[in-house]
Amino acid sequence: MELKKTPFYQKHVEAAARLVDFGGWALALEYKSVLAEAKAVRGSCGLFDASHMGQIRVSGSGAFSFLQGLVTNDLSLISNGQMQYNLLLNRGGGVLDDLMVYRFKRSFLCVVNATNIDKIFNWFNENNHQDIEIINESNNISLLALQGPNAQAIMEKVLKINLDDFNYMSFIEVSMEGKDALISRSGYTGEDGFEIYVSSNDALFWWDTILKEGEAFCLQLSGLGARDILRIEAGYPLYGNDMNEQMDPFTASLGWAVKLNKEFIGKDAILKYKIQGVKSFRVGFVMEDRAIPRAGYEVYLNESIGIDSDRKFIGKVSSGGYSPNLDKFIGMAVIDKGFAGLDAPIEINVRGRFYKARIVKMPFVGIRTYNKGMSKVIRKKPETLNSKS
Amino acid sequence: MDGMKYTKSHEWVKIENGVAVIGITDYAKDQLGDVVFIELPDVGQRVVKSSQLGTVESTKTASEIYTPLTGEVIAVNDGLVDNPQWVNESPFEKGWMVKIKLSDENQLNDLLDEGAYKEFVSKEKH
Repeated sequence: MELKKTPFYQKHVEAAARLVDFGGWALALEYKSVLAEAKAVRGSCGLFDASHMGQIRVSGSGAFSFLQGLVTNDLSLISNGQMQYNLLLNRGGGVLDDLMVYRFKRSFLCVVNATNIDKIFNWFNENNHQDIEIINESNNISLLALQGPNAQAIMEKVLKINLDDFNYMSFIEVSMEGKDALISRSGYTGEDGFEIYVSSNDALFWWDTILKEGEAFCLQLSGLGARDILRIEAGYPLYGNDMNEQMDPFTASLGWAVKLNKEFIGKDAILKYKIQGVKSFRVGFVMEDRAIPRAGYEVYLNESIGIDSDRKFIGKVSSGGYSPNLDKFIGMAVIDKGFAGLDAPIEINVRGRFYKARIVKMPFVGIRTYNKGMSKVIRKKPETLNSKS
Repeated sequence: MDGMKYTKSHEWVKIENGVAVIGITDYAKDQLGDVVFIELPDVGQRVVKSSQLGTVESTKTASEIYTPLTGEVIAVNDGLVDNPQWVNESPFEKGWMVKIKLSDENQLNDLLDEGAYKEFVSKEKH
């Protein structure tokens, strides 16, 4: 099957990107170097084509109660112009998708993962017993993510307005030369930045304008490879790796996005986990030996004494890689709760050899999202990473 | 490059006084992307042609390195373990991986010369 192309496809080709098939889309894995791009995002700024992401518009007078009955977080906590991280569960409590919900005056925009667009669109329709309008806008919307400490300066040049009042997890609607954009202060890197939703017809205008203004701010085209390691550094989960339909939100360590003071599909099924506790959950770890932890690798607790080898299988790696910003191999794993204590010495089975690792607190890097009045250079590094290395 | 031999699995071999220096080619490192991890054999290990010498892992994939020659590993580039980026920066110089003392120099006849390797790569690209 031929890969789907975003409006930026030709730009990726011109920039000599290494293209990959990501959920049926031809996207840039890297332009020059995954590592250089991942560093650029934390050092200056990166621009990502994220047009593969899906957008489903939910509108109608009952839209609020409809969505509130499906998502795990509480939509009453956000108002018009704000967004919220959410999960959708099946009736058994497994995670169908994670998504961002944007609240408008008369509608909601749900931004879902590329591989789940059809599944979620169908899920919404199956559960639509009222007169809710559900529109899959994915094919008409392109998404750019501008991420990094220089993002605000670049965006201010592009829009010719001051953005000091523009807070994390909120959005604005703007128009430039008759071309509309929905811009949120958000992202998937842990850095300050913006996600820019535009009509696919206007997509190249925004690409060119952002790149032109970004030149003075060391803006770097960045691919999916950098996006993946940046989100791991920030402790953000990826659907399909760190959660799936067989996993409840507590096992995925996403209980913070579940509000049990409201009703939603899957709530009954996950109540028992809340009460009895889960068997395992997602933790972060840092390799002590040099080796790359990759998704699917087995995790062991090494209880060996002397020469007697005694390894206990405790779970599997869900995401991992080399972090150029920390110069460490890092990962996430879903492991048996009884052994998931901070600093627990674990081992990862990498192609039959066991390499030492240690459980640490996530995020691996300081999160630098923006709220007005905050100093822009705040960068907290978790103590566990500094004290022992 | 002068006196260099190549393999179809994209290793290069340079012979210096009966010793083969082995690394991976420019093409191989371009295919891999940023190299972040390298596993090398122990010095003193006997290796047989076509067996695995070690592993090179990039940000996106793990790839085995095979020895094109039979002999004894007499040196490995220890610096690479902490500086895997040398493979990207300088695959033919700083990025060398192992030195093998050959059991028999006639084995070299099986390797590709530069022209044959270039032709092989251009076919693989298309």
